[in-house]
Amino acid sequence: MSQETPNSRPQGQGRPQGRPADAGSPRVSRVDASVASPVKFFFASALLWLLVSSVLAVITAVKLHLPGFLNGCEHMTFGRLDAVQRNVFFYGWASNALIGLNLWLLSALGRFEFRNGWIATLGGLIWNLALTAGVVTVLLGSQNAFELLELPRGLAPAFFVAFLLAALWPAVAFARRPTSQVFVSQWYILGASFVLPVVYLLTQLMVLWFPTNGVLQALVHSWFLQNFLLLWLGASALAAVYYFLPKELGTTLNGYYLTTVGFWTLFLFAGWTGPATLLGSPLPLWIQSSGVVAAVMLLIPLTITTINFFGTLSRDSGWSRSWNNTTLRFVAFGLVAYTLAIALQIVFSARSLNAVVRFTAFTAGQQQLLAYAFVSMVIFGAAYFILPRLTGAFWPSAKLVHLHFWSCALAVVGSVAGSLFFGWTQGAALAAGKPFAETVAPQSALLGTVCAVLFLIGHAAFAINAFGMLTSCSSSTDEGRHA
Amino acid sequence: MKNLNLILAGVFFTVAAPFGGLLLSGHAQLGALGRAPAEEGGPLFPAKEPGLAIQGRQVYLELGCVACHTQQVRPAGQGKDIAQGWGVRPSVARDYVLQSQVALGNRRVGPDLANYGARAKSDAEIAAHLSAPAAGSSMPAYAFLFSPAKDGSLQPNERGTALIAYLKSLRQDYSSPEAKLKQ
Amino acid sequence: MNDSHRPNDRHRRPRASYNAGPEGFSDGRLVEVHNQLARDKEEPSEGFSLLPVFVVFLFCGFGFWAGLYLTRNSGDFNPGSFDLDAPRAVADNGPKEFEPDPAKGEKLFVANCASCHQPTGLGVAGAFPPLAGSPWVAGNEERLIKIILAGLAGEIEVKGAKYNAAMPNIGAGLKDAQVAHIATYVRQAWGNTAGPVTDAKVAEVRKKVGSRGAYSPADVLIEYPLETK
Repeated sequence: MSQETPNSRPQGQGRPQGRPADAGSPRVSRVDASVASPVKFFFASALLWLLVSSVLAVITAVKLHLPGFLNGCEHMTFGRLDAVQRNVFFYGWASNALIGLNLWLLSALGRFEFRNGWIATLGGLIWNLALTAGVVTVLLGSQNAFELLELPRGLAPAFFVAFLLAALWPAVAFARRPTSQVFVSQWYILGASFVLPVVYLLTQLMVLWFPTNGVLQALVHSWFLQNFLLLWLGASALAAVYYFLPKELGTTLNGYYLTTVGFWTLFLFAGWTGPATLLGSPLPLWIQSSGVVAAVMLLIPLTITTINFFGTLSRDSGWSRSWNNTTLRFVAFGLVAYTLAIALQIVFSARSLNAVVRFTAFTAGQQQLLAYAFVSMVIFGAAYFILPRLTGAFWPSAKLVHLHFWSCALAVVGSVAGSLFFGWTQGAALAAGKPFAETVAPQSALLGTVCAVLFLIGHAAFAINAFGMLTSCSSSTDEGRHA
Repeated sequence: MKNLNLILAGVFFTVAAPFGGLLLSGHAQLGALGRAPAEEGGPLFPAKEPGLAIQGRQVYLELGCVACHTQQVRPAGQGKDIAQGWGVRPSVARDYVLQSQVALGNRRVGPDLANYGARAKSDAEIAAHLSAPAAGSSMPAYAFLFSPAKDGSLQPNERGTALIAYLKSLRQDYSSPEAKLKQ
Repeated sequence: MNDSHRPNDRHRRPRASYNAGPEGFSDGRLVEVHNQLARDKEEPSEGFSLLPVFVVFLFCGFGFWAGLYLTRNSGDFNPGSFDLDAPRAVADNGPKEFEPDPAKGEKLFVANCASCHQPTGLGVAGAFPPLAGSPWVAGNEERLIKIILAGLAGEIEVKGAKYNAAMPNIGAGLKDAQVAHIATYVRQAWGNTAGPVTDAKVAEVRKKVGSRGAYSPADVLIEYPLETK
């Protein structure tokens, strides 16, 4: 990457005494260049999977109110497409993008040249090939009954190795560089990159390879799912928020010294919250109650992130400044969603409330609030910041950026609000003793379809913009790397 | 918070704690759970599934039925599952000890199936529902589980027959030591 | 948003900054400043210095609540309890079914009775009558319960031998269940084969006995003649 290009990162003015002189902006560019190729690879594959997932989401949404739609052959059954869509979204889009984002963040914060970028790219390649194989297998007719573990167990070693190469090994390499200074984002990334492979491995063993007895499988699965959502997706996205807020606002984080407590309490309690999603299931009461207690404990990390983020944003007209900054607009949207998602999780782990909404669309809405309105929006914001710095190019179209934000924001607000509302009303009707068939609201499926189409529009706009940029300047980046 | 090895060690502990506290203790309590008789000296429950039903379970899994159907009845104090007629007693861990892969499910687009076998009237009724769901239902038709017979009517093929056998085998209407049936 | 999707826009736009330069943070500076903050633990704005104390109190409060919640909602950590309402329903249906436990009975017998009747149940010749094979303890259980509760005074003939010593009202100081355990043990140990005794039966007999003193063997036999000799 050439050094005079507009993507050289701005440097602060007041550099303290004693700082090595060679840490100026040219060196930063080389840091960027050292991870450019794997990060671009991960973002590009994430984008492709996002498009696949959006198209599938439209099909499954239509199928929910027109069950005859595309129902000609067995491979297009709702049950299979739904599983494929979910896996493509979580493993294809969110995980790919977060692996790339984490790599970039670590290199930026560690100011560390990453020598063996090809190893991460190789990991990414294996990851994507494994996912493709898994998707084909599910479509052809073999899947497991556990959300996000549907892919055949034979692919688990490939995913595991891929993640070690692409995320865990680089994270450890970055984190152990010789320096005395560490930023909160690095803890989160290190934690997230460690938790996912360990939990994934143990879950695969206990659920699919050497299945435990009966309902214990569901318990292990809930443990996996909560770890995946809160400690892989959630913690990685939090790392990005912790970076972009002070970076783009130019202010320090409010209550920074609390972040240690926030980090440890999140990691301590999130892993126990699994059973709180299984209230009323045939699991011993004490296991369910432990989950409820852990879910309520999430109030501590939530309080701290609220102090950190909203405190920072409410100073110096931070809200209006982030509204006028592409990256921060997405990031601020995301962290409002995060706060709501965790708050809902806490409130609805109360047994009486959970009894109303469990098994309805409400829980799907909660998951979307976390995985899309928080994690995906933060990834979008990060992409708007990172990709120009990697390619040395501008985003081709400001209009497409607008289209992307507004269609995705509208879609996710509509979709989450719809799921929460219709989920709650259905639950309330069931609690009032209405027969099940009378409680299904056809409007909810219609709303879902409209939102799915909006998502597709937004993602297409983002993809056109991003691929326009990724393809235009890839050659110049390669030159820069060898320079 | 500067020593990253310490952070890794701490994160390892946070993973190990729920793994030990929830999963391993759960395994210690329920890992060896087996079947039990409904009354002294009676046959053991849950009953072993017939071979055809085991094949049918495979069809159920590979079609992703779990996306819309759960197989668990919550206690009366936790939701109205029993009042809906989906079961006669709450599901307990013992009901699932024979299943190689439990399909508890977490979303109900359609009704719960834990005790479906007890309320389904006949094979023909289940077959009719699978080949042509009632109007207004969001369940798709599973035409590929059926083939036309000589007289022109649709008959379930091999996989269809297996799935129907599996659905009929779904029963939680026996007394369990943890959840006795009310007389 | 219009003008900021280009990466270097912030170079042009002057901004009010908190403590970074007009160009925002560099990555190195960002890390450094926050490290400083973490070391100092003092925010420039006041009021938040109380937060750590607040967090500690929050922790304690949560810990207390968690303990409370777990004791109330964990079904005694029993792997077989799945329904929060089930144990309460059982409690409302009255006391739990009593199961006489010979192990408990033996312990209680050794503590309360064995000094006279001996752990072997054979008694002491000329002083304390045997219980093993005694027709007094078999048959109608009320006879045995009554003797344990009220005591016995006077000459008594057991298995052809005469004894004359006073038995105190041991059972008056014991709970119904404990008396039931002892009675069951006595009726089933040493080759005795009589049926078990429930705590409900003991409660019933205790009412009949009231606060009267020790029976004489003759009194007992009027009401409950020996079934066998």
